[in-house]
Amino acid sequence: MALCQNRLQEERKQWRKDHPFGFYARPQKNAQGVLDLKIWECGIPGKEKTMWEGGLFKLTVTFPDEYPTKPPKCKFVPPLFHPNVYPSGTVCLSILNEEEAWKPAITIKQILLGVQDLLNDPNPESPAQAEAYNLFKKDRVEYEKRIKRIVRENQAP
Amino acid sequence: MEQLPLPTSLGEVESLIRALYQPNQPETISQIQDVLQRLQRSPQGWQLAQSLFANRDDNIRFYAALTIIVKLNRDSPGLTEDESKELLQNIVGWVIQSLVEGSATFVVKKLCSALVTYFIHFPQHWPLCLRHFIYCLDIGRGAPVEVLDEALQTSLLVGNLEPSKLKVAVWFATSLVEEVGKTDMNSTKYLNVHNQLAKNGPDATCLLATGFSLSSDNYIQGETIHCFQAWILYAQRVPSSASALLLLDPLRQLVDPAINTFADPDLFQDTAELFSDVLSNYSAFFTEAHYASLAAVLDSPWAAEKFRQLIQRPGESIAFGLLMLAYGDARVADLIESTDEQSQRLLGRLVGLLDADGYLVGEDTIFVPALEFWSTFVETMIDAVYDPSGPNTSWRQLAEQHLRNVVMNCWGKIQWPPVEVFAEWDSSERVGFSDARKDVADLLQSVFAINGGQLVAFFADLSLQSVATRAWAEVEASVFCLGSLSDCISENAEMDAQLAKVFAAPFFEMLGGGETGIPLRLRQTGLQLIERYKEYFERHAEYLPHALNLLFIAVDDPVLAGHSARAIATLCLSCRAILTGEVEAFLGQYQRIRSGNGTTNDSNAAGGGGKVLLLDSLAEERIVLAIAGIIQAISDEGRKMDMFQQLYGFLRADFERAVNLKADPGLLNLADPNYLRGVETAAATHHQPRSQQGGISADEVALQIALRGLRCLSSMAKGMQDVMERIIDLDSEPRPLFPSQGKLAPLQADIIGLMAEVQRTFYGSSEVVVCICNIYRAGFSETEPGPFVFPPDMVTEFLVSQAAGSTPRPGTLLSLACSFVGSLYRGPKAVVLRQLERLLPWVISLLQGLSGMSLSLFSTEPEADTEVAQNGIQFVDRAMSKYPEVLFQIQPQQMLEFFFLFSLEVLNGKEPLPKGAAADFWSAFISLKPETPELQSFITNAMDQTLGPLIAQSLMQNIGGNAARSELDKLSDPLKKLVVKQVHAQQWLEQALFADNFPSKTVTSEEKTMFLKRIVALRGARATNAVVREFWLACRGSNFAYAS
Repeated sequence: MALCQNRLQEERKQWRKDHPFGFYARPQKNAQGVLDLKIWECGIPGKEKTMWEGGLFKLTVTFPDEYPTKPPKCKFVPPLFHPNVYPSGTVCLSILNEEEAWKPAITIKQILLGVQDLLNDPNPESPAQAEAYNLFKKDRVEYEKRIKRIVRENQAP
Repeated sequence: MEQLPLPTSLGEVESLIRALYQPNQPETISQIQDVLQRLQRSPQGWQLAQSLFANRDDNIRFYAALTIIVKLNRDSPGLTEDESKELLQNIVGWVIQSLVEGSATFVVKKLCSALVTYFIHFPQHWPLCLRHFIYCLDIGRGAPVEVLDEALQTSLLVGNLEPSKLKVAVWFATSLVEEVGKTDMNSTKYLNVHNQLAKNGPDATCLLATGFSLSSDNYIQGETIHCFQAWILYAQRVPSSASALLLLDPLRQLVDPAINTFADPDLFQDTAELFSDVLSNYSAFFTEAHYASLAAVLDSPWAAEKFRQLIQRPGESIAFGLLMLAYGDARVADLIESTDEQSQRLLGRLVGLLDADGYLVGEDTIFVPALEFWSTFVETMIDAVYDPSGPNTSWRQLAEQHLRNVVMNCWGKIQWPPVEVFAEWDSSERVGFSDARKDVADLLQSVFAINGGQLVAFFADLSLQSVATRAWAEVEASVFCLGSLSDCISENAEMDAQLAKVFAAPFFEMLGGGETGIPLRLRQTGLQLIERYKEYFERHAEYLPHALNLLFIAVDDPVLAGHSARAIATLCLSCRAILTGEVEAFLGQYQRIRSGNGTTNDSNAAGGGGKVLLLDSLAEERIVLAIAGIIQAISDEGRKMDMFQQLYGFLRADFERAVNLKADPGLLNLADPNYLRGVETAAATHHQPRSQQGGISADEVALQIALRGLRCLSSMAKGMQDVMERIIDLDSEPRPLFPSQGKLAPLQADIIGLMAEVQRTFYGSSEVVVCICNIYRAGFSETEPGPFVFPPDMVTEFLVSQAAGSTPRPGTLLSLACSFVGSLYRGPKAVVLRQLERLLPWVISLLQGLSGMSLSLFSTEPEADTEVAQNGIQFVDRAMSKYPEVLFQIQPQQMLEFFFLFSLEVLNGKEPLPKGAAADFWSAFISLKPETPELQSFITNAMDQTLGPLIAQSLMQNIGGNAARSELDKLSDPLKKLVVKQVHAQQWLEQALFADNFPSKTVTSEEKTMFLKRIVALRGARATNAVVREFWLACRGSNFAYAS
């Protein structure tokens, strides 16, 4: 537990010092304004020169008590139309899977950049929702139309 | 690539080395490298290096040193003890020789690296390497290690060294600690290296102390600072506490000499970097006395001057600022509670870092790091303030005063520059500026936890003052800061009184755009403020109309439309109950906006007159959502219906226009906003510039008008959803599903008829189908009657009329059917059964439709559309789990057979999503408990005769290696059910495991038998999953061939 808190303090420090443009990531605050380091509110911008450009997507990152031994859970709020996002909004990504590529050394910055990469580069091997996956595979024109609309609905301020 | 022959003489080797460092073709260079490397690696490599040293050419000597390093790394185990000792003496000799003969720095440094490499390989032969090296430098030749016993003390030896030799000793000491630091500290292989290095700590300290004392030689002092930094960094990482102790005490003695180098302008940069680095990364290195010295330095007149320069030119003198911040960060907990004058002065300057000259972030580079410090300060202070064990908060008043100044400085910094300045910034400067504003918002939220009331009052007053003086950038900053606090403010009369000062006539007038010269940004931020404080407006309905009128006016502005529409939706939805009296006015606003009455005065537009303003389609959907939300809250049913009809009327007319235009393209009139809205939507969808809009066909315009209408209708349906929390009595009889009475029935019939007509007209459009599905879906969650809460028979009718193979997006239709079934279960059984009886054959026919996509008439292709396969199986699963009789009585019976085989094939397939659904279905099927004996015997027969062995076979094929690892848990479920519920399970599984087509050849019969035994013995317990995983791994083996 202490390990988790210390690591999150350090992550916050590192993020403040150096974070990629257009992203935000901050721990939630309770009613008194005191931070809850285990739940972060993040924003992921669509990558430049992709059809996701211009959008900003809200993600909640929840850290378990066993972090960093276990990976955090990333959830788009509201759920996002994307082949690798479960209907609940949870992101399916190998670096977020304890049994796959998660390593305790992975930073929040790397996670958020990884999720940003995933937006335009879905992994058809691990579908998480039928609708986006099916359109991605079968009807790319329609898929891209949907993405464009989603980007419009979630425009970065 | 052709190989060069090996050279036959030293002369040839030397010319090759010279050629290597001359401009050449890449191919030639790699050929030379290749031949030289072969030489280096050969047994003669040692000899070669030695011979090369005779040459005074720098490049050749460098190459000789490199050869030594290569040989040490490759062949050091082959050296005898004597050979290795001789080698050491030689290298040390070469260093001194090169130094005396004036070789280039890179030669001497490379030789030092060779010495370090030697130390890493032979720490036992060279324990006090630093002392020995210094000794040899002093006597001017390489000497045996043994003579060291009789040498003078290291401090005396170092004192004897002339500056040129001292410099080389420092180089070596730096390279030594850096290179050793790169080896794995936890590996036993290097354990001795690290232990020996620590023993050199006192000698290193001697050397560095002398280096620091040479105040006349800036170069050596600079190198000494780097070396010192490298040793501290190493001491921090060294894993053995004994080693750390050996290093730390001597190194700490050097802090004061290092502090003295601050004042030297040539050394300031290096010294500041050293202290900033150690303060940030290893603050425990410094003792209290060190901190006191540092504090004194930071409080000196010298520091005052440095600070002044920094504030004037933050871009050039940032190092001093970073030093102050690193000190502050390391001492933050103490600084908060310190009330002495020195600490106060330092804190005052740290506040001052937020007020340097120049704009964020291109010119003022110190603001963001300073803000980071203050965020830490506030968070630490919150902990101290809320700490129950620390009642003594005499410092609090002083700390709060600093925070007030921090807030004031931030407010000044985040003000937008004049437009012409902003225009010159590049994109990273712009993003950086916005990011810094977000960081400020973040800080303010933390400050709120300490003195929220004051903070709100402060910004409220500031904004009023600035409005009065028309200082727009200031107003914007105040409004922005106030907005950032919205989430912190809860219902509170004191806060509301402050907010009331802001949300008054002058503010609304200002944002209304009546006054010229108000920057767009200010209007934007102002509108956001209204949206953020929606709860305030809920409490103070008297201001709501003001706010909303303002927002509706702002919708006319293309830049503000998106934000305003969103704010309108937020405000109307959360304050719907108090806005019911405004519906007529808002409908009027909507009509005005739709009909293009909000025209711009763009004189450049074609024709010279005002051009029709096209409302953004997304903004329109939000406005429709907002108005529908208010209509939903009207309690008088008659009036509610009237208002609904009015709003619906707009969309109804759109649908008719779209249908007519499709039939008669000649109707297209691009001067009419009712047609132009289709053009705008097409442009937004395809990202076409407006200049190319002439190329859009009437057909496309018709489709887009229809789609836009459908999306608005979908927004209406969402807006009409009930937000009241109603008590649902779970024990009561299911209520009849609202018979649509009175005016509702014809209205619903009209909506459904209209949607059907639109779908018929644009039958190929998948977007139309998706929109219609969204409209139906919006009613499913409702518990009260409403225009979109359609009677179940009508929903079913819609679904079953969608024929397999011709309607686009069957997967979406099936997903709708799944949600529909879920909502039905709240109703009476008879109604549900009636729907299921009609829906089940339809669902299965859609699954059969998948076979149409296959070339073979006899096989289906479940994977042709994973969405159909997944949702179809899910639907049957849901239906069967609740009312199994409907599934088993399906006519014709072949449908049921088809479905069973289909879902088995999916279970054998490779698509994870439908496969998961199939696993769920079979789990549920195996554990069915039918109410009637007939059904029970039907299922038992089906299982025993065909299904049981087939399910077992499919599961064993998957677990035998065909499945992906991530699917194993899902697949374990039906296996567990099978073992628990079916008496023949063991026999079926055994047949499957020993069948000829079992995918894995790597497991033996014994392993298979053991697996089966364990699975059966576990009787469906959770541990089955682990056994399955283990067996799957064994089946996959290391070179698993995928069997199909």
